Amino acid sequence: MIRQTMFAVALAAVTPAIAQDQMNDLQIAHTAYTAGQLDIRYAHLALAISENDAVRAFAETMIRDHTAVNESAVALITELNVTPEDNDLSRALVEGAAAKRAEFMALSGNDFDCAYAANELGYHQVVNQTVEGKFIPWATVEPLKALLSDALVTFKVHEGHAEEMVAGLQCAS
Amino acid sequence: MRVLSDATRRRFGLLMGAGLVAPLVVRKAAAHDGPHMIEAGIEGFAFVPDRLEIRAGDTVRWTNHDIAPHTATDKAGGWDTGRIAKGESAEVTFEAPGAYTVFCRYHPNMVAEIVVEAT
Ligand SMILES: [Cu+2]
Repeated sequence: MIRQTMFAVALAAVTPAIAQDQMNDLQIAHTAYTAGQLDIRYAHLALAISENDAVRAFAETMIRDHTAVNESAVALITELNVTPEDNDLSRALVEGAAAKRAEFMALSGNDFDCAYAANELGYHQVVNQTVEGKFIPWATVEPLKALLSDALVTFKVHEGHAEEMVAGLQCAS
Repeated sequence: MRVLSDATRRRFGLLMGAGLVAPLVVRKAAAHDGPHMIEAGIEGFAFVPDRLEIRAGDTVRWTNHDIAPHTATDKAGGWDTGRIAKGESAEVTFEAPGAYTVFCRYHPNMVAEIVVEAT
């Protein structure tokens, strides 16, 4: 719980400061894709470390679903013949995730499961708020808006699953 | 399920060929209008509709409209469509009457009921 809150606060401290400036379609596409890739990396770490069936099943779903979403993103980018644009928010996410992974790699057993589960919940909460409250309203290209909306449905289900995963673990609060 | 279905059709065909049960077949066909293909969807991480009442011999075809892949899987372990990607479909033919609980192996909160009535 503490970890999750700290993470949410840490990301929240970064996110609004940067995402207050409106991003263009290519930056939004880059950040959405990056957020998915980072969650896939967390999931691979979970499969390498966790022995908890619920945590492993969740991680496998993250890999499967985020891969599908990002394949759709690549298809759209290819169709529109554009190149996503790296930006401050993408860079902040990448840096934050690298620090998190380093922290997770020192953990094992229930400690790892609790840290991963709490992080997944916080991560999906922040990403969903950003996609719903900023990226979708900001996007100007209709297919990008549609893709983000479809992706949001998936990410919200993940947020719900993450809540269940956290509730199902015995974690110190 | 598919294997059962094929075996049943083969047996059915053999009997038809022998001409032994032709009158019975005609009566059954008239009463039930033959097997049907029932179109169902997967959308917004839900089976649509979430309850189907069909006849033995009917086939259900699920089409996935979500960006995420899903499965339609028998909770009792009798059959499984395997992965259904976005825009793809998978079919299951139901020969045996009974009630089935369907779920998605990837997102187990997704459930539906299928009731198969005898013809
Ligand atoms: Cu599913």
